[in-house]
Amino acid sequence: MKPMLSTDLNAPDATVEKAKIEVKNLNFYYGQSKALKDINLSLPERSVTAFIGPSGCGKSTLLRVLNRIYELYPKQSAEGQVLLDGKNILDRSQDLNLLRTKIGMVFQKPTPFPMSIYENIAFGVRLYEKISKAEMDNRVESALKRAALWSEVKDKLNASGQSLSGGQQQRLCIARTVAVKPEVILLDEPASALDPLSTAKIEELIDELQADYTIVIVTHNMQQAARVSRQTAFMYLGELVEFDRTEKIFTSPREKRTQDYITGRFG
Amino acid sequence: MAEHTVASFDEDLRQISRLINDMGDLAGSMVGASTKALLESDNALAQRVVSDDAIMDARQRELDDRAITLIAKRQPMADDLRNVVGSIRMAGDLERIGDLAKNIAKRVGSVGVSAAPRDLTHSIDSMAQMVLIQVQGVIQEYTVGDATALAKLRNDDERIDVKYTSVFRELLTYMMEDPRNITACTHLLFCAKNLERIGDHVTNIAENAYYVLTGTQLPANRPKQDETAMSAPAA
Repeated sequence: MKPMLSTDLNAPDATVEKAKIEVKNLNFYYGQSKALKDINLSLPERSVTAFIGPSGCGKSTLLRVLNRIYELYPKQSAEGQVLLDGKNILDRSQDLNLLRTKIGMVFQKPTPFPMSIYENIAFGVRLYEKISKAEMDNRVESALKRAALWSEVKDKLNASGQSLSGGQQQRLCIARTVAVKPEVILLDEPASALDPLSTAKIEELIDELQADYTIVIVTHNMQQAARVSRQTAFMYLGELVEFDRTEKIFTSPREKRTQDYITGRFG
Repeated sequence: MAEHTVASFDEDLRQISRLINDMGDLAGSMVGASTKALLESDNALAQRVVSDDAIMDARQRELDDRAITLIAKRQPMADDLRNVVGSIRMAGDLERIGDLAKNIAKRVGSVGVSAAPRDLTHSIDSMAQMVLIQVQGVIQEYTVGDATALAKLRNDDERIDVKYTSVFRELLTYMMEDPRNITACTHLLFCAKNLERIGDHVTNIAENAYYVLTGTQLPANRPKQDETAMSAPAA
């Protein structure tokens, strides 16, 4: 059940709710170039937060800091704090594998492994847990159900994940993420390569998943941000310009830059 | 305000603003003409108001079409969204103002043949002037984007309510003095009530316009001074 939102635009910000992730004084560098400038932001638990902004504004970079996936690439560094349940994940002592089971990620382009639908899900689970075949069957089924894909694939679990349609592949990736029982799910433009019907299914799924997970979505589609999220962050040139409840951002934003961007008057 | 990247979006919004302006001008002219026709027993002028109402209705339909199409095509956000939705609502109020002016105009014949209407209409005349200033003012302040003036204008409706109460009492006195005045005074009472309702629609427009311009709502509790509700059934 989706939590009810107050329609009172003068109600306190969503930021006063219990924070799952707190970003404090975060700076990020690609080599010498500063891509994020002193970001401070609090993401409430079990709700959807959207990051919007023009290309190159830093929204995907910020998302990539949240599970430290940027460390796969050389010369990228972050300073400041990202607190997950109060613990700084940027700390050197943080176990990265453990972090990435807690914070799952789905990318713009569906990335199923070149293996069966069943194995796409079981593969990740096996890395972290030793469970019986029967338990694994249950885990695969519940993950596929969670991702609203079960009814479409239950009779062909041994077919290749890559034989599915784009929208189904993306839901398979979400099922794969959900299967390792994360607490946070990061979605980087999860529907930008999909047709409207598949997009609607992904959005419906996001709506259901927020009852159990803290979700962060980066999207270029502002209507999508307005539809799926409870709070929205507008970023520009590496700065967090405005962060507020989604209704407020899309009906009467405080900042002129936000207003210009969402109304299509930018640049 | 900067232009949109898509120039035709600006053009679509301009068309909607133009229609609101046209409807506002027409509403002002209909209110002015209907009360003038009433005060001067001018049937020809009253007829013109009746036919103007058809133009008002057509403008509202055009605005609805354009606004719905714009929402479908452009998915407006923030001030654009407030502007389009606010325009639909303001057009509804302007169309109702046209209806009420037409209703006043249709009573011109009935009042005109009754005894000595001119003597009875002085206070209606001054009430009509107050209403006309409000109707003309609200669109003007919206067009120039003066939210403070709109908030003041909304509160000024209180004076119309007070005036209506006094007109109501005055007409009641005329009717008690001479029962031959009853027909004319009853029609005039409806006219006064229509003027008072026009004031309420102006208030709605001012509230909408304020929201369109600022993104915040005016407080709900505005002073209400129409005291006739306790002593008379609703017209």
